[in-house]
Amino acid sequence: MTTFSKLAAAALSTTALSLSLATAAQAQEKAEVLTTYADIAAAAYGDSLTTAQALQEAVAALVADPSDATLQAAKTAWLAARVPYQQTEVFRFGNAIVDDWEGKVNAWPLDEGLIDYVDATYGGPTDENEFAALNVIANPTFTLSGEEVDASEITPELIGETLHEADGVEANVASGYHAIEFLLWGQDLNGHAHGAGNRPFTDYAAGDACTNGNCDRRGAYLTAVTDLLVSDLEYMAGQWAEGGEARAAVMENEDAGISTILTGMGSLSYGEQAGERMRLGLMLNDPEEEHDCFSDNTHNSHYYDGLGIQNVYLGNYVRADGSIVSGASLSDLVSELNPDLDAEMRMKLANTMRALGQIKTAAEAGFSYDQMLERGNAGGEALIMGGVDGLVDQTQTIERVVAALGADAIEFEGSDSLDNPGAVFQ
Amino acid sequence: MRRPLRTALIPLAFVLMPPGAGQAGEFDATVTDVVENHILPRFDALAEASEALDAAALADCTPGPALKEAWGAAFDAWISASHLRFGPTEADNRAFSLAFWPDSRGATPKALSALIADSDPAVENAEDFTQVSIAAQGFYALEYMLYDDQFTGMGTPAYRCALIRAMTGDIERTTLAIASDWHETWAGYLLPPPSGPYRDEDEVLGELFGALSQGLQFTSDTRLGRPMGTFDRPRATRAEARRSGRSLRHVELSLAALRDLGERLSGDDAELLAQVDEGFQTAQDLAADLDDPIFAGVDDPSGRLRVEILQQAIDHIREQEAANIGARLGVGAGFNALDGD
Repeated sequence: MTTFSKLAAAALSTTALSLSLATAAQAQEKAEVLTTYADIAAAAYGDSLTTAQALQEAVAALVADPSDATLQAAKTAWLAARVPYQQTEVFRFGNAIVDDWEGKVNAWPLDEGLIDYVDATYGGPTDENEFAALNVIANPTFTLSGEEVDASEITPELIGETLHEADGVEANVASGYHAIEFLLWGQDLNGHAHGAGNRPFTDYAAGDACTNGNCDRRGAYLTAVTDLLVSDLEYMAGQWAEGGEARAAVMENEDAGISTILTGMGSLSYGEQAGERMRLGLMLNDPEEEHDCFSDNTHNSHYYDGLGIQNVYLGNYVRADGSIVSGASLSDLVSELNPDLDAEMRMKLANTMRALGQIKTAAEAGFSYDQMLERGNAGGEALIMGGVDGLVDQTQTIERVVAALGADAIEFEGSDSLDNPGAVFQ
Repeated sequence: MRRPLRTALIPLAFVLMPPGAGQAGEFDATVTDVVENHILPRFDALAEASEALDAAALADCTPGPALKEAWGAAFDAWISASHLRFGPTEADNRAFSLAFWPDSRGATPKALSALIADSDPAVENAEDFTQVSIAAQGFYALEYMLYDDQFTGMGTPAYRCALIRAMTGDIERTTLAIASDWHETWAGYLLPPPSGPYRDEDEVLGELFGALSQGLQFTSDTRLGRPMGTFDRPRATRAEARRSGRSLRHVELSLAALRDLGERLSGDDAELLAQVDEGFQTAQDLAADLDDPIFAGVDDPSGRLRVEILQQAIDHIREQEAANIGARLGVGAGFNALDGD
């Protein structure tokens, strides 16, 4: 086997990425860093679960006794549930268990007409999605990909197994935070003007008080989709608890585990948050291109995503009850190798948090994210690009950290099939 | 959330490599060759073809053969440079404004309809037009105006003409700005000794290698993967630039451009160069024999299989030859814009 092929084989093996042939002491230290990482994941998913359970109670109260007060309480519970969950997004990329599961709970953007009534301006089925305006709440039976579906009873199974990503279209988001968000707030019809969705509580009222029809089915959907979120989060919290599979997978190999942390940080910073979620919306000037578009909570989603990245580098997470999870960190590891690089990384993460904080503070003071996206709105563009630039800039330093930690990589596993490049097509 | 891309991108999205196999400056000749003979000529050609496109639109803005031909030539030049997504193409969202695709939200037809329905005056002023949704700018938006019946007859002829000229003018200015930045600033950053955003030669090599790796990924996952959909649910209407029949052409243009880059990054390593040529030739032969210009064949199993075989050949280049180039240079692919979901 040539040296090239050995290196190439190592490059291709995501599970066997070797950062270095570590000494026993280094391995011990890396294991401690990974323990902190898994502890933060367990705590953040655990907080996501308890806050979702609080949401579940609030939804039950809303459906049992619809009023402005119970609807507002459910919205408040949803907003609180987003705080820990967004801080878990840094665990997505690199951890297959999380990435395979994540679409169930936080899929976005969605064609909300799949679920419930929408405004006439929404349009109907599109080239990309035949079921963009299916409206399950109004239709107890319908045909999906040639098969008759009985949706007379709306259950977590119907939502999770039949409706979610129906017809293989990712915009058919039937479950997760954003489906619940839509059912609580409704469409945001304010365009670029200030204001979120304004669903009346009477959408859940009984008898003649019911607005927009099918209030019982709407209540059933909201209940089932919230139950499903709770059970999905129970699963993930368990994966990171002592003895959980996600924890075991990340602890299995110290070097691969460290690269998992960095993969999550870099992929979320660059491709996902800076690109897909922030820059794209700005370039399209589309008020629907905000991550929490019904509730106008996007400024917080971005902020807590960024904070999650900083958390795993610093090995420090503030729980929903105010207690702190902290321990040996990637920062410690980098600092021993190259203190300047660690300082650079910490500074860039802090810069990003300041930029994301400016978006958050402006939004909370009344300049909402959809206003920032408006064409020609220079102030909004500058705020959002500040966040994007910070994220892009920190990605460059994450790559430097990758290079620094890979400095003495010498052990590679090879694969014979890679020694014969033309073999597959001869 | 664009999940089908996910599994495909993990292997090369993040690769740890031993940095700096040799001393600084070991790859000076490689970098110089890539900058002078791969990058600069491509952006010069793009600017020149875009100037000709704008001139053609000013001469006659109706979607006839002359304008279509000029658009096709400029689009060819863009595709042949489109893997070089760093530095000048990223400033002011230039690459996005030239080429907003894929468009999974249908943003381009939506944005064009809105401009035309409102007779939006932004088309009358170059600066104003840069502020409209990027989905209504660039080569892909122009394709709708030249080839899609829904748009070639929408609104008044005068407005459509103004819109087309706003687009071609913007393309011209954008491509000139990219070329100018490359000559005046960025070539200097990359050329030895590294400067600007590049701290050392490894970072320069990482950038160039990333362009190769990401270019292959985009052609495989997006240009081919989107129309392929799943076996049960192929998506022929998601093929790139299908209205003008250019889907397969773009795959071929990108392979030719990436081959050129791959060869140059192989430098004086004859064994590696031979491998790279063999890998690309396999894929290019498959593309040439495909006889399915807009991947309409994905709708039936045998047609889909042929596209899939081409995709596998490209993935093979990524996994094998590109990885070996990375090993020669001692760099990994780093993070790229496709890393999200």
